[in-house]
Amino acid sequence: MTAKISLRNVTKQFTVRPGKHPGKGSGTASTTLTAVDSLSLDVRDGEFLTLVGPSGSGKTTLLDLLAGLSTPTSGEVLVDGQPVTGPGKDRAVVFQQYALFPWRTASANVSIGLEGKGPDGRKLSRRERAAKASEYLKLVGLAGFEDRFPHELSGGMKQRVAIARSLAYEPDVLLMDEPFAALDAQTREQLQEELLRIWRATGKTIVFITHGIDEAVYLGQRVAVLSARPGRLKAIVDVEIPDRDGDEDIRSTPAFVEQRHKVWTLLHDEVRLAQDAGHRKILPDGTAPDEPAPDEPAAQQTPERSAA
Amino acid sequence: MSATLTKPHRPAGASPAEAAPAVGQSDLPEKPATAALATLGYAARGAAFRTGSWLWKATGILAFLTLWEFGPLYLAAPSTRVFLPPLHEVLLAWGKLFESGSIQGHLAASLGRSVAGFGIAVVAGVSLGLLIAWYGRLNSVLNPLLELFRNTAALALLPVFTLLLGIGEESKVTIVAYAAFFPVLLNTIAGVKTVDPLLIRAAKSLGLNSFRLFQKVILPSAVPTIFTGIRMAGTASILVLIAAEMVGAKAGLGYLIVNAQSSFLIPDMYAGILTVSLLGLGVNFLLVALERHFSRWRTAVGA
Repeated sequence: MTAKISLRNVTKQFTVRPGKHPGKGSGTASTTLTAVDSLSLDVRDGEFLTLVGPSGSGKTTLLDLLAGLSTPTSGEVLVDGQPVTGPGKDRAVVFQQYALFPWRTASANVSIGLEGKGPDGRKLSRRERAAKASEYLKLVGLAGFEDRFPHELSGGMKQRVAIARSLAYEPDVLLMDEPFAALDAQTREQLQEELLRIWRATGKTIVFITHGIDEAVYLGQRVAVLSARPGRLKAIVDVEIPDRDGDEDIRSTPAFVEQRHKVWTLLHDEVRLAQDAGHRKILPDGTAPDEPAPDEPAAQQTPERSAA
Repeated sequence: MSATLTKPHRPAGASPAEAAPAVGQSDLPEKPATAALATLGYAARGAAFRTGSWLWKATGILAFLTLWEFGPLYLAAPSTRVFLPPLHEVLLAWGKLFESGSIQGHLAASLGRSVAGFGIAVVAGVSLGLLIAWYGRLNSVLNPLLELFRNTAALALLPVFTLLLGIGEESKVTIVAYAAFFPVLLNTIAGVKTVDPLLIRAAKSLGLNSFRLFQKVILPSAVPTIFTGIRMAGTASILVLIAAEMVGAKAGLGYLIVNAQSSFLIPDMYAGILTVSLLGLGVNFLLVALERHFSRWRTAVGA
């Protein structure tokens, strides 16, 4: 097996400006936070890897690095053996908040990645783009919705469009950042099944971030567990569930329950650690609105959702 | 939402190919027959309500016109009546002005100036606004200056423009352009700056370069806000133009009003004022329709 993606001793640090605290004058002091600390990880070609970790373990940071939206402080991110220098057509990102362009129809959203020159230097005509968009909308179960605007679609349908958009320009790697977290349980389960179907049909390499242990074990061939901040690779769990493609309810098989418990145990200590340390989310622009200012003690923390 | 929740649970092991079409439909916002009927009822009541509201709106206008017609005859003192002629006299005067073609001439003069000034303002305001919003440094240099100009009443500069550009068309077109420029500029800057950062991230991840990002994401996202500015500019351009025409002009609605007043053709003066009102209404209606057309996708965001 060749490594499609490899992370070599990747470290990412942020200079964090604490968010504005109402009624307090502080806000100018900045601190350096290590979001990801010398992390090494290989993802095989065509693999479905899920990534779990407590809040603040650098999951989104890692995805940004893979997508080329930010660069590591030290270490290397390689895709096909080549260092990542920026976003590229070989990788696609699916965001939790869909990030559809609201002024474009479903079809136009899907085809936005096709509007430039293709890898062969040829530009697709409008009709070819529309045909391709229809093809991918059909793949995600949205045939006939080409002319709908995002505000006319439900949350699940929006995420389907977003998945179609990321698949349409035929990347090798799909990077997904908690894509189903904002959906209701029923829709989430449907989309999980569909994603597995699409993955089997297209053979993409998928890196899927989640904070749901069930989701991680259900989808992933391997589950990478990250530690509390600074994010390190704590363990990789090989998910071995016999007869995965059968008609059975996988979630109730003993093998699934066992794997789920394994990941849960690994994650549990980290979640508690993260809670005690009061780790909060760092936004992509480098602000951490919830992070307490360095001069004040961490306030009483509310339980993290990822413990579920 | 409830439709999705009450749906029978699909066994997780169902073959994916078979699950696909069913899945595609089940997260549709469903509308059972009863709901459709209820919608129909609402629509009917809505239509009734709309005609009702039109009636109410018309009542206000009709009451005002009635007061205008009979007020001067029965309420006003004879000396005031001269300065406040009843509606029919004003309409007769308007008819005469229309027959002689002079009102069309004045309207054309005013429209020509405001369209020219407004056009210049839109082109300059949008392009400068895009530049300023895109280059942060330019913004910090120009912002204090723009604040100063923006808060200087346009009409205060009319004497300056008249001195520099004469009393001809140039000074009037310039002052209209000046007054209409700032709403367009400021809304363009605001529109570009309030683009959802998530959309920018998404566009970057799709491999769009800076130029494409601007063209395909930032500009379309800013269009509704820009059109709000353009609508405000349309209103401003007419307001300022009439005032400018009152001060020094040989044609135009502002000139008609002032000239009629000084020639003691009081009904003609009111005919001019009525034309200005209708022109303002028309321009606003047009620009609101335009703004709505370009903001269609935004109406239901968050719904």
